[in-house]
Amino acid sequence: MKGLLLLWSLAPLAWQLYTSLVTPEALVSGSVGTSGSFWTLENYRQVWLADPPIWRYLLNSAVVGAATTALTLTLAVPCAYGLQRQGGRLRWLVTLALLATAIFPTVLLFLALLQLARALGLANNLLALSLPYTALCLPLAVLLLRAAFADLPPDLEDAARLEGMNLPRRLRHVLLPLLAPSLASTAILVFLFSWNEYPIALTWISRPELLTLPPAIARIAGSSLFTVPYGAFAAATVLGSLPLLLLVLIFQRSIVSGLTQGAIKG
Amino acid sequence: MKEQRLNSSWVNSLLMLPALVLLAIVFAWPLLDSAWLSTQASSVLTGLTPLANGGANWQRLLGDARFWQDAAVTLRFAGVSVALELVLGLAMALLLHQPSRGRGWLRALTLLPWALPTTVLALGWRWIYNDPYGPLNAILRACGAAPFGFLTTPASTWLFTVLADVWKTTPFVALLLLAGLQSIPAELEESLVLEGASPGQILRRLTLPLLKPWISLALLFRLAQALGVFDLVQVLTRGGPAGSTESLALYAYLNAMRFLDFGYSATLVIATFLLLVLLTALGWLLLRRRALEPSR
Repeated sequence: MKGLLLLWSLAPLAWQLYTSLVTPEALVSGSVGTSGSFWTLENYRQVWLADPPIWRYLLNSAVVGAATTALTLTLAVPCAYGLQRQGGRLRWLVTLALLATAIFPTVLLFLALLQLARALGLANNLLALSLPYTALCLPLAVLLLRAAFADLPPDLEDAARLEGMNLPRRLRHVLLPLLAPSLASTAILVFLFSWNEYPIALTWISRPELLTLPPAIARIAGSSLFTVPYGAFAAATVLGSLPLLLLVLIFQRSIVSGLTQGAIKG
Repeated sequence: MKEQRLNSSWVNSLLMLPALVLLAIVFAWPLLDSAWLSTQASSVLTGLTPLANGGANWQRLLGDARFWQDAAVTLRFAGVSVALELVLGLAMALLLHQPSRGRGWLRALTLLPWALPTTVLALGWRWIYNDPYGPLNAILRACGAAPFGFLTTPASTWLFTVLADVWKTTPFVALLLLAGLQSIPAELEESLVLEGASPGQILRRLTLPLLKPWISLALLFRLAQALGVFDLVQVLTRGGPAGSTESLALYAYLNAMRFLDFGYSATLVIATFLLLVLLTALGWLLLRRRALEPSR
C-alpha cells in the first residue's frame, strides 16, 4: 500500500526528472539515437542560458517569498496575540472573518487588485507584489499563531508583567522565543504559498525579467503550444521545484505538525 | 479570566488593526469594487472608462450560453474532484497515520504534489498526457494498444484534468484528516479492539464520526478552491477543447485580459462569488444539520 502511495505521488515527478536528463531522440525512441548519447545536461544549459535565464525567475520568486514572509509574520504576530487575549464578540467576529478569507479562492480578486496596481503604480514591482500576498497569507498565519499563543501557559505572561515588563518586552523576551517552532512552520507555509501563487503574479507583472516562477513557466508553456521542446520544459520545472523540494524534505516535521496542530487548536 | 486583564480591549484591538486593514483592502474592497463595476460598461468601446449601464451586464450574463456552459463545467469539476479527493484523502490519511519506520519521510514525499507550483505541475501533466510521445502513451504502446489523445476530445480532457487536480490536492485533504486522526485518543480504538471490533467497524463507529469536523473543514475549503479553479486549466488545457474545461474564473480572466471587457469580467467574478457563497452556505447548513443529529 505504501509503495503504491509513493508511486502515485512520485512517478509524475520522477518522469519530469527523467525527461530533463535525456536527449530528445532518447526521449522519443527510448534508445540512443544519432547523437550517440542517452543522458544529457543540455536541457539545463539551455534554460540556464536562456533570456531571461531561469535563475532570474528563481531569484524573483525568492525575493517576493522573503518579503512576503517577513511582512506576514510582522503583521500576524500582533494580530494573533491581540485576538487570543481579546474576549467576547469581537474575537468571534474576527475569527469568523479569518476563516472566511482563508478559504476564499484568490483568483476572484485579480480584477480589482489589477486596477489597484495600475492606479497606485504598483505593477511590475516585486516588493509591491508582496503586499497582496501578505494579505492572502494573513488569515492562515493568524489562525496558526493564535493556536500557538493559546498553547502557552497562561500564568507566564502575568508573571512577566508583575516583574514590570511592558507589552513589547513581554512579547519579545518571553512569548516569542517559546513560539519559535510555530513561527518557523508558519513562515514555511507562507513562503510556499508565495512561491506558488499564479493569478496575481500573472496580472501584476508583465516585464519578462521581473516574472516570478509560476507565470514564467506558464509563459514558456504558452509560447510553444504545438512544438515539443519538452526536455527544456522539464529542466525548468525541475529547477523551479528544487528549492521547494528541499524545503519540504528538510522541514517536513515542522510543516506537518504546523498544519495539523493549527487545525486541531484552531 | 486572568488573561483578559493583561491588556485593555483597546490595546488588543490596536494590535489587530494593521492586519485587519490590509485584509479589508485586499478582500473586501475588491468585492465591492467588482460589484460596482458589474453595473458599468467598461471595455475598449468606452476607452476603459466606466459608464453606468444599469443591469446590461447581468442581462447579458443570463443569456450568455458560454457562461452557463462554464458554470456547468465548474460545478461538475468541483463536485467530482472534491468527492474523489475526500475519499482518496481519507485512505491516504489512514495510511500516513499508521506507525511505521520512516513515517516522516513518507508524509513529506506524499505532500510534494501539494507543495509544488500548480503551473509547473500542469506543464508536467501536459507532457505526461502527450500524444504520441508521453509516458502514458509509451505504456499503451508497450501493451500493444493504439496511442490515445488524452487531451483531444472534450470528455477525456475533462476527465484527465480532474485526475491532475485530484493528484495535486489530495495530499492537502489527507493532511487535514491526519490532524483529525491524531486528535482521536488511541485508548478509544484499543478498547474497541478489545471488544473484538473489526477494522471496518472501528472506522464506521469511531473514526468517521469523530473525524466529521475535519471532513467538513476539508470539504468547505476544497469546494471553495475548486469553484475558483484557474491555474490548472489555464496551463494544462487553456479551457479547451471546445470550452470543455473552461472554468468561470478562466472566462472572467479572458474577458479582462484578452477581450478587455472589464465590466463583464467583473460581472463574472461576482456571479462566481455568489455561486461560491450559495454552495458553501448550503454545504455548511447540511453539515451542521447532520452534526446535530445523534450519530447512529
